[in-house]
Amino acid sequence: MISSQHNPARPSVMHIDLNSCFATVLQQAYIHLRGKPLVVSAYSTPKGFVLSPSIEAKKFGIKLGFNNAQARAVCPHVIVRTPDPNMVRDVHRKFRKIFDSYSPNVVPKSIDEAVIDFKYTKYENTDLTIVGQEVRHRMRREIGEWIKCSIGISTNRFLAKLAAGIHKPEGLDVIDAHNVRDVFSRMALTDFPGIARRFEVRLHENGIYTPIKFLETDEKFLQKKVFHSVNGNYWYMRMRGWEVDGVEFGRKTYGQQYALAEKTGNITLLSRYLMKLCEKMGRRARRAGYAARGISMSLSFTNGAHLHTGHLVGYQMYSTWDFYHESYRILHKALAKGLVVSQLGVSCFDLVTVRAVEEQLFEQNRTKKHLVSDALDKINDKYGEFVVTPATMMGMSKTILDRIAFGSVKEL
Amino acid sequence: MQDIFEEPVSALFSYNAKTHAIMPRKMVWKGREYIFTKLGYHHTVRIGRTLNHIFHVTDGVNDYRLRINTETLEVVLEDVYHDQLSA
Repeated sequence: MISSQHNPARPSVMHIDLNSCFATVLQQAYIHLRGKPLVVSAYSTPKGFVLSPSIEAKKFGIKLGFNNAQARAVCPHVIVRTPDPNMVRDVHRKFRKIFDSYSPNVVPKSIDEAVIDFKYTKYENTDLTIVGQEVRHRMRREIGEWIKCSIGISTNRFLAKLAAGIHKPEGLDVIDAHNVRDVFSRMALTDFPGIARRFEVRLHENGIYTPIKFLETDEKFLQKKVFHSVNGNYWYMRMRGWEVDGVEFGRKTYGQQYALAEKTGNITLLSRYLMKLCEKMGRRARRAGYAARGISMSLSFTNGAHLHTGHLVGYQMYSTWDFYHESYRILHKALAKGLVVSQLGVSCFDLVTVRAVEEQLFEQNRTKKHLVSDALDKINDKYGEFVVTPATMMGMSKTILDRIAFGSVKEL
Repeated sequence: MQDIFEEPVSALFSYNAKTHAIMPRKMVWKGREYIFTKLGYHHTVRIGRTLNHIFHVTDGVNDYRLRINTETLEVVLEDVYHDQLSA
């Protein structure tokens, strides 16, 4: 069976990961920040969550997930800055342009990483380490000399990403049939992308304590005993360099969330945050040409409880008011128990294209609301976000700021 | 330390026709002249339909962020970064 062997093909997949992206981009722009311990945090307050420590800050042990107070405790002179989403998006667009010049098959995996598949390109039979060095050189020349990236090369996306993580910052590594066992022997299970603590426990329960043991485990055992699904077969193939992650999923939801600076159970205040989240979410969905039939909310409370609930609403939500009206009902019900909210999230699902909405609008005579919503969007498109807003959002220009989400990049 | 200003300034730019590179060279702010020695980053931002160019430059002492509104051609000093430890 072909999958029992490591994929013998020449590596054709390159994973490129910008090192400490948000911090490095700021250091590129602000020359005096270069070479200094810097953290880019969601907020500059002591409890602000560190999104990106610079390479210099990492040397002090500062990691993603620290808050600013913890970062200052280990490095008192660390510089704290908030992100510049527009600049990071611009860097993303520039590196994407470079990658597109090498292959038509470029998949951005997040704001700071992308995969280039060189199959069927003129580079297919070229030594990709040379191409990798060229890509790195172009990134420095065309984006900025402070931009640093790690590059991994292999026969599939999983091993290419793993290779990109071997030497940071600025590594360039290849994993193929010849060195895969050697690379695995120097790693822990949680070094594998996709293996977090929960999966690690599951592997331990089945006697798998190391990546080498994971690699040597029988395919049927992985499928039937460890993963109880086809995921076992996928892991078996993935570790042998066969591509099983080449499927890109379209957008299924739009969502926004906000961690409250001041926790509250006050429905009037929370409804203002909710309106702004709905406006941002609605704008993104409408801009992409979608309406939605489902709404869900996630709420975290100060007592540690968490609520995630959603439902289909029976019509196609299009305007900000539609999203707000439906999510407010969930919020109102959730607050009946007198809990204090620490994090508020809203998302819409079961997306439908606007053409389908328009057909329904005529049926239900909701055309006026649709037109008002489009007119408001046009004003904001012309003069800038939140120039015209619902009255509920008055005075909220400095709340729920523009941020870049973790995870896949489906819009910029 | 970063100070936010949002103040209109007088500025001089250079443009290289070969590389299409544009860079602020000089700024007069509050009666004082600042000569820029290096461009850190240049990008564009749309505020509504208006395209704005953002330049991060340094005079060797401080870092400056300048914005040009391509509709009004107004140049605004957005912020200055001082090279000193954060509080």
